[in-house]
Amino acid sequence: MAYQAQYYPGNSQIAKNRRRYMDPSEKLKKLRDVAMDDVVRILGHRAPGEDYKSIHPPLEEGNEPDDYVRKLVTPIEGAKKGDRIRYVQFTDSIYFAPMVPYLRAWMYMTRMRGFDTGTLSGRQIIEMRERDLEKASKELIDNETFDPAKTGIRGATVHGHACRLDENGLMFDAWQRYRWNAKKGEVEYVKDQVALPLDKPISVGKPLPDAELKKMTTIFRVDGVDMIDDPEVMAMNLRIHRLRTLCGFQAFALKGE
Amino acid sequence: MAKEKDKLFLDAMKKKFKEAPTAVNTNYYTFGGWKQSKRKREWVEQANKIAKARGIPMMNQDIGVPLGQRVLMPYQLSHTDIYAEADDLHFMNNAAMQQCWDDIRRTVISGMDTAHAVIEKRLGKEVTPETINFYLETVNHAMPGGAVVQEHMAEVSPGLTADCYVKVFSGDDELLDQIDKRFVIDINKEFPKDQAKQLKEAIGKSLWQKVACPTLVGRVCDGGTMSRWSAMQISMSFISAYRLAAGEAAIADFAFAAKHASVVEMGTMMPARRARGPNEPGGIPFGFLADMSQSFRVKPDDPARAALEVVALGAVVNDQIYLGSYMSGGVGFTQYATAAYTDDILEDYTYWAVDHIKSKYGGLVKSKPSMDLMEKLGTEVNTYALEMYEKYPAAMEAHFGGSQRATVAAAATGIACAMATGNADFGVNGWYLSMLQHKERWGRLGFYGFDLQDQCGAANSLSYRSDEGLPFELRGPNYPNYAMNVGHLSGYGGIACAAHVARGDAFACSPLIKVAFADKNLPFDFANITKEFGRGALREFMPAGERSLIIPAQ
Repeated sequence: MAYQAQYYPGNSQIAKNRRRYMDPSEKLKKLRDVAMDDVVRILGHRAPGEDYKSIHPPLEEGNEPDDYVRKLVTPIEGAKKGDRIRYVQFTDSIYFAPMVPYLRAWMYMTRMRGFDTGTLSGRQIIEMRERDLEKASKELIDNETFDPAKTGIRGATVHGHACRLDENGLMFDAWQRYRWNAKKGEVEYVKDQVALPLDKPISVGKPLPDAELKKMTTIFRVDGVDMIDDPEVMAMNLRIHRLRTLCGFQAFALKGE
Repeated sequence: MAKEKDKLFLDAMKKKFKEAPTAVNTNYYTFGGWKQSKRKREWVEQANKIAKARGIPMMNQDIGVPLGQRVLMPYQLSHTDIYAEADDLHFMNNAAMQQCWDDIRRTVISGMDTAHAVIEKRLGKEVTPETINFYLETVNHAMPGGAVVQEHMAEVSPGLTADCYVKVFSGDDELLDQIDKRFVIDINKEFPKDQAKQLKEAIGKSLWQKVACPTLVGRVCDGGTMSRWSAMQISMSFISAYRLAAGEAAIADFAFAAKHASVVEMGTMMPARRARGPNEPGGIPFGFLADMSQSFRVKPDDPARAALEVVALGAVVNDQIYLGSYMSGGVGFTQYATAAYTDDILEDYTYWAVDHIKSKYGGLVKSKPSMDLMEKLGTEVNTYALEMYEKYPAAMEAHFGGSQRATVAAAATGIACAMATGNADFGVNGWYLSMLQHKERWGRLGFYGFDLQDQCGAANSLSYRSDEGLPFELRGPNYPNYAMNVGHLSGYGGIACAAHVARGDAFACSPLIKVAFADKNLPFDFANITKEFGRGALREFMPAGERSLIIPAQ
């Protein structure tokens, strides 16, 4: 029987959301359209229109030794061209941001290729070849995994995910890379990822209402959906602990569990 | 569940933030940046003067991240009424923290029985209470830097080594009755009756010296020096007190006993790749750390406080000083590690857990370890801890780093599991249950290390085979799975302690260490560890080993 990926257990709304984000057959909703040049400006790795810096010649020009891995793996575009590797990093507020850091990692694994990722408590970094990174960044800013108020694009000084929200409902950022435009009711970036000032503000759109965020979030919380109210998620998690405790990493050695 | 008014952290939250602890929104960017901090203002003034005098730029608060974009909150030292700025909890700025580590590092426990056997059996000389008293007078001259054997020797100013002395202790009341009281740590006086009984039974008739080497020696040399300093002065004192020949072969036995055979160092040897000597913080087993703390001696009815005091001790010695500086360097670890002993947050979770165990599980140490108990009790305590962060955004912001929350929730869970069963291995298994649930619940945990040690830790928390594990009390910062476990080590010490104080044990691992740190002459009070750190922050703590005698007057 062919393996059917299940992605995530549970029947709570949070479990369903996690499953949907991870399932690559589910198309994620596009909620905004930030211009590619603006995405490039926020990333801050190159100026729009500037050539990509390369770290090796295009693969088609090189004399790569023959090996079976090269035959198996089709290089992503940036690898073909020899792009350097750059990053985008998102900070997700504990106050019902759509994403949580681990889910980003799990979702990237099922939906993308050619990246390296690292997960911490508040932030999540992806490193990719530069032109592929820009495409991925645009998608991740435009789609429902991003909320202008509860998600931050931050290269350095990333903390703020667990701080209270400001008077406009925005997540704290010590560098104030973004600000609330009260007239438009939108959040606009005035600094790039590493807090260098932008030439002009870049709007990333209107924050989603709190009620909407609570429906689409992936965090279990007592003031939202509590994990202890999803028996399947609890059982799965306890099983991991039980198996590791009783038989280390030889889960196959345990009988009757 | 306890009512809101019972939450122990609310007082601290109200002092830290002007909004209600339950409020989700606040204001930022209006506090004047770093200038809101008295300490940072003071430092900028200092740095400007220094820069001008030396002609090299120094601290400039306008460089780097703009500090103080939110309120630079004060920190309450848990179970005290002391509030301090975060800066004053960095060990470099805190003389009490420095002395705490000094007092551990400079402690050497050395048995006297081997030396006495050599004197009596090999040399045919008599050892009596009178000769022991004379030896103790001699060694209290020699240990701080006095010469006893050779004339024309350079000695050390007593003003620099006033903190150095030697005392003795034993389970033999009859012998100690005849020893000069100035040299005795009296177990009967210092410990509650039941604890004294346990300690005396464990120590037996053996006679032990507690050597407090000079603080200054540790600062100039290292932990590995201590047993050498101690052994040299002990050997010389035996030679002098018993009129032995300095060159005779039997002297080698004193040296061997004092350096190796009968010596207990506070930290075990670490592998060469750690580049540390023995008696350095990376080698201190959690059980030893638990025994250094004296809370349970002075407050035997409060096992939770005992565990929390060890948490504070571990946070400073293991996280802030060892991993934060010995192994890493810099300033980042203070903010992380202080979460475990400030603002009564872990306090609240731990006392809630103790009440819960008493009301739902028949009391402390009334349950046997089992997976079912782990899953039930561990889930209850961990869920309570995480819910508090969710219900009180002030607590969430106080612990604004995920690693802080992960440590605190896991420490509460681990301490609870240890106290319910009296089993420290079961306790640390609870730690790992907390970590797995925490990651699943919030989709986040701590820094990258939490992806490693805390995901695999359940697999070795009950392992005893030498290539896979150790009884938890004997594990320490250098246990392979913990060697880079920043922020975890505080909780681990608390768990090792919790299992034993819940049982009413007078010690967790070593009765000798427990008694050695019951010594009233130590500058740092190991019965009130958190308070001492607070006194250090307030600049009320007087350390030892100061050099004012040998430097120009300021």
